[in-house]
Amino acid sequence: MPANSLLLSSSPHIYSGVSTRRLMLSVIIALLPATVFGVVLYGLPALGVILTSVAASVLSEAGFRALLKRDIRIGDLSAVVTGLLLALIIPPSTPLWMVALGAVFAIVVAKEFFGGLGANPFNPALVGRAIMIMSFPAALTTWHSPFAPIADAYTTATPLNLLKMGQSVSDVAATVGASTPAGLYWNLLIGTRAGSIGESSVILLLAGAAFLLIMGVIAWVTPVFMLGSIALFSWLLGVDPLVAVISGGAVLGAFFMATDYASTPMTPKGKAIFGIGAGLVTVLIRQFGGFPEGVTYGILIMNAFAPFLNKLRVPKYGFVKPAKPAKEGSR
Amino acid sequence: MEKKTFRGGAHPPERKDRTSELPIEYVRSVKQVVVPVNQHFGPPIQPLVKVGDTVKRGQKIADAEGRMTVPVHAPISGVVKKIEPRLQPNNAEGPAIVIEPDGSDAVDFLPVLDAFSCTKDQALARIREAGIVGMGGAGFPAHVKLAPPPNKPIDVVIANAAECEPYLTIDERLLEERSGDVVDGMAILLKTLGVAKGVIGLEANKEHLVSLLRKTIDERRREGQEISVIVLETKYPQGGEKMLITAITGKEVPSGGLPMDVGCVVQNVGTLAAVADAFNKGQPLIERGFTITGGACKTPKNLVVPIGTLVSDLVPDTVQVDDENLARVVAGGPMMGPAVPSYVFPIQKNTSGVLLMDKAEARYFQEQPCIRCGRCMRACSCRLSPALLNEALNAGDLDAAEAIGVLDCIECGTCSFVCPSRIQLVQRFRIGKQLLRAKKQKEAQRAR
Repeated sequence: MPANSLLLSSSPHIYSGVSTRRLMLSVIIALLPATVFGVVLYGLPALGVILTSVAASVLSEAGFRALLKRDIRIGDLSAVVTGLLLALIIPPSTPLWMVALGAVFAIVVAKEFFGGLGANPFNPALVGRAIMIMSFPAALTTWHSPFAPIADAYTTATPLNLLKMGQSVSDVAATVGASTPAGLYWNLLIGTRAGSIGESSVILLLAGAAFLLIMGVIAWVTPVFMLGSIALFSWLLGVDPLVAVISGGAVLGAFFMATDYASTPMTPKGKAIFGIGAGLVTVLIRQFGGFPEGVTYGILIMNAFAPFLNKLRVPKYGFVKPAKPAKEGSR
Repeated sequence: MEKKTFRGGAHPPERKDRTSELPIEYVRSVKQVVVPVNQHFGPPIQPLVKVGDTVKRGQKIADAEGRMTVPVHAPISGVVKKIEPRLQPNNAEGPAIVIEPDGSDAVDFLPVLDAFSCTKDQALARIREAGIVGMGGAGFPAHVKLAPPPNKPIDVVIANAAECEPYLTIDERLLEERSGDVVDGMAILLKTLGVAKGVIGLEANKEHLVSLLRKTIDERRREGQEISVIVLETKYPQGGEKMLITAITGKEVPSGGLPMDVGCVVQNVGTLAAVADAFNKGQPLIERGFTITGGACKTPKNLVVPIGTLVSDLVPDTVQVDDENLARVVAGGPMMGPAVPSYVFPIQKNTSGVLLMDKAEARYFQEQPCIRCGRCMRACSCRLSPALLNEALNAGDLDAAEAIGVLDCIECGTCSFVCPSRIQLVQRFRIGKQLLRAKKQKEAQRAR
């Protein structure tokens, strides 16, 4: 018998069918409805942004790793996810060279500099967006009405902009052609509004999130605590909590960014605190900061706490509280 | 009805259908046996025979003093040909006694003993003298579990019939074909421990055996004993001692403790049948059942063979192997059994299966970086955070590894099974445990 051809690896000898590639593919599938809707809303420029961002991400990861003579891992699809996420959180009119620059920064600086897959302390797509906002503030805050040709350079304000300028919910509702606050809610859920490519349709994002939850790809803890925290703190500051949750990038951020594996805590308690913190920072920036939207920084700031939040582990099986040491001098 | 279980775990493919319906085949004549001297968890023992001695079936051939020792008996009658180091299924070489049959059928069993009229000490001595160890895997001396210190009262004896390892069906067959002996073994343990309550715990995939077991229990009902059958969720590692206790009693064995700390004694059903044989027939533990299966096994079977039978000696008369496609041989189940370099190894008291895996089953994966998805943390039945443990060990931080609980790891392999990056987590933890124990030993020496 061919004894020397037998495999002698450590147990276990069977594996579940779930691989990194399959997990990333699930995320891509979950993002597809919102992506397609973004293209429908904003037309070919949106498609251009998406393709540029994904291509730049994949190529820069492959190129950088080749430069360092490391194994090329684009097959795990994580660069595709980063590129896609970045495209979904920037305006459809962003010039393509800016998109490419942001994607390269996200992959090379935010991910590969730290060791690549799994080792990045901050969410690469959000780092890419943050850098772009700082470098090209005008382009990154130029919004367009859906179904209007972007070439016309007709810019508009997002509902969050208007709320920030002090308009009431009914006033904002009027700008989207709705006569009542309920009309605004409906408009925000459907997503026919000005905004980033993939953030607008809450319903489609929730459908993708439901898919990920059912497939066990993401845990419910972080999104629920983050959205709950946004609603609560918005309400405390006198903002309509429902509008706060379903406008801007809150839903996209909570389900697809705050659930990023590498840059967020792994323990349930850590996830809860992460969600609460990200929600709080988001609301504070929305209300008091220089930008109308704060999800990006809310999550990035909490990313920095993830390693500490990982210390909040559940007690192990059979955990026994150590007996208190006897006080000295009690003899 | 909701099935009882524990928190965490995973659902590996069961792959039991090839053998679960096959009656146990008994192999009585073998051309030799290679009997490892040390088949128990405890200090080593010494051979009592020398080369050239004639031994009878059931005769004691190795033993030593000591609470944690268990003797070994001749599985066949014959002549001792060699005493030399041989490869054991745990991948280590150990002394083994090679016996070739002499054609006689001389038997040297113990006298029959009535467990219900003998003293507790007599019963414990019988269980030790019969060479009985835990047959589920660890090979822990059975008599030690049955003699807890007086400050650890036992209130339930649990028969582990979960058989949560994929592929393996020998316990299932044993329950079906020898239910009387399993129940007798349980009754003997209850009597010996002076405990009233016994529970047979099996996974839901064996639910069809419940009525048979309940009928057998009714037929053999004894005064003052109450044996019940509990169906547990089919989930790995349901047959882990701690997980079984938690599923059945709701209690958790304290970290660093033993089942007796929560009033439990757990024995595998194979062990129970061996106990029944030791009393009712006076037969020591000289044969055992196991499942031989896997994609490269053309004739999957449930077999009972003399202890020390080389798997290679069963080929090709009893078992046919597809050598062309054989990619991995595992002594035990696929989740915890060690891979061995060939199938030239003896069946031991604790060998519950032999897997002959083909190339499709035994795929080897390159480790990918940890993506911190947390699947291992949700799956860990000991709630240990394997990803963080791996991180700590990779950084050489043994103190952090201890704080997370590396010493509590039961090495069930669930974390490695669910890891999408195919990281050999359990392997790291085994090494981590050794490093930590070595470090503690060093510190203790320095402190002295």
